[in-house]
Amino acid sequence: MAKGTPSINTNNLTAVQLMELDACTRCGECENWCPTYDATDKLPGISPRGKIKRWKEYMSKSHGLMASLFGPKQISDEEIQQFNDDLFQCTTCGVCGTVCEAGINTIELWESLRANLVKRGNGPYGKQSMFPKLIKEYHNPYMKDQASRLDWVPEDVTISDNSEIVYFTGCTAGYNQQILALATARVLTKLDVEFSMLGEDEWCCGSALVRTGQQHLEDTPREAARHNVDALKAKGAKKVLFACAGCFRAAKVDWPRLLNEELPFEVVHVTQFLADMIDKGKIKWEETINKTVTYHDPCHLGRHVGVYDEPRKVLQNIPGITFVEMDRIKDEQRCCGAGGGVKAGIPDLALGVATSRVTDAIKTKADILASACPFCRRNLSDGKDKLGADVEVEDVIVLTAKALGLSVE
Amino acid sequence: MSMEYFSGFTDALRITFVQMMIIAIIAIVIFLYGMILNMRKWGLGSTGYGLEPSSGSAMVFLKTLIAQIRSKGHGQPFLTTLVLDILLQRRILRRSPLRWFMHITMFVGWMALFIISLIMFAFEVLELIGFDANPAALRDMVSVPNDVFSYILLVGVIIAIIRRLFMTNVRENTIAYDSVLLVGLTLIVVTGFISDGIRNGTFWGLGLDYATAPPAALFHVVISLLFCIAYIPYSKYMHMLATPLTILANKGGE
Repeated sequence: MAKGTPSINTNNLTAVQLMELDACTRCGECENWCPTYDATDKLPGISPRGKIKRWKEYMSKSHGLMASLFGPKQISDEEIQQFNDDLFQCTTCGVCGTVCEAGINTIELWESLRANLVKRGNGPYGKQSMFPKLIKEYHNPYMKDQASRLDWVPEDVTISDNSEIVYFTGCTAGYNQQILALATARVLTKLDVEFSMLGEDEWCCGSALVRTGQQHLEDTPREAARHNVDALKAKGAKKVLFACAGCFRAAKVDWPRLLNEELPFEVVHVTQFLADMIDKGKIKWEETINKTVTYHDPCHLGRHVGVYDEPRKVLQNIPGITFVEMDRIKDEQRCCGAGGGVKAGIPDLALGVATSRVTDAIKTKADILASACPFCRRNLSDGKDKLGADVEVEDVIVLTAKALGLSVE
Repeated sequence: MSMEYFSGFTDALRITFVQMMIIAIIAIVIFLYGMILNMRKWGLGSTGYGLEPSSGSAMVFLKTLIAQIRSKGHGQPFLTTLVLDILLQRRILRRSPLRWFMHITMFVGWMALFIISLIMFAFEVLELIGFDANPAALRDMVSVPNDVFSYILLVGVIIAIIRRLFMTNVRENTIAYDSVLLVGLTLIVVTGFISDGIRNGTFWGLGLDYATAPPAALFHVVISLLFCIAYIPYSKYMHMLATPLTILANKGGE
């Protein structure tokens, strides 16, 4: 770094976000809620307010009053690298923003800082750096064959070629947690919902790239968003169903922003769809689930988009279920630990947060910890295994399928 | 200059209006310079999420801020945000009633005293330019509210000091950036009470001679102008402007 050149720049940060750094009153409320700060025994570098303070200081050293009078003060590469590594120990769950007394939009601030540091050459973290290459090359992060996207579809499920309702499976449900895709498809079939799917024309939603600040690399998320939107349009989609909270958030928030246009179809999470069917009296339950169930709000479904009540309505409507709440729910929920690239980049941290969340569930004495996102399901299952806890982790759609008398095998 | 500030003093003890004006103007210039520097720094950001950075102009910042406040999208209406989240500070109340009480007393006390001071200043100026504004009568009229809001501010300051000194978590996380704000505020409040006490011969005058009233008042005014205005852009006082603007820009926040 040449002397006189600022150590940091403002790439990917908006003018308002730079002001937000000065809005932080350092009340420390974010530290009381941050799941990764908690899971790392309050490692100072991970503190949300600490990160804001550090970047604010970097801004002062590089672009503040003294820098404009006497030239920028250098920040060592080691210090910036440490900041980067701390920044990526965040699931971008956004609870810090919810409780922020200054109303700072922290989710977008962290994502923008990540993008800045990726451009600078510091980020992302660990295996997260594989995402762009894999998604660009395979159109999914699991290096799977696109042609096998629908291999799981059983004979009893009918998929239309074109339909007003399209089920967007998502890479995780389509390849690694096919029980969720199977349950969704069978539930829709059982409810006489005509639907189609994209099959090999379905590309990764791009969420992992945006969350880890890699959205600008080869323009992959924008390409994926363009491709998916065009493919969905070609299917005649008026309503697109998502059973994955990550894909749902990407389609609802990221795609319109990446494409700078309104989507020509409605983006609906499957729990919203089911809640609507319940309201219309179109669901006839066939089985009873005599269990106590608690519900974990996925960050991408709840805090990021605001869907809190519909998954609860579905669970509470299933015969036999006794529904109980954990202490931290809805917009104050504790993240499962999988988001923001943490599961891929820092699996131990993801597991630490998951055990905290499973512990929340155990306190309710629930038999089942339900969620509505394949990432939450996977990470909470890992947390349960680590604790050896006697609680079943399951997705709302699987419980729905069972209550409709459907097999998910 | 015939008009003199603090006309309640005897002629010999009056602090001239010119002195006050010079200090006020210097404070305002320092404040404006700092604000322009800050806005230019913020203006180095882009005009929207994911866009290229800008040139570092104050106008870029202002345009981006206004565009974001006016943009459609999720969030609550402007007026709701202004009343509930900025004036009534609902976001703090949701998290900690004690912190809210501390902050609202400081906010209300500070803003009320600032507005009363501005009105008194305006009356002095009106009198100066030839209107029969009667600033002395106004000063008597606002004497009680002045006292009330000063005590309200004092309550907030005392709670803040107690939190910083005796609540372990708060104390351990306090840095100079936080302390300077509180020290400045304490200095303003205490010097205000003392200078007023000397002039009126009350308990807060600490038995000091009446002749010390003018320099005490001058000291209070200088300190107030420096901390209330000049020092804002260079310190944690900046949150008094940046936080409400952030809440407005984010439509009440998440």
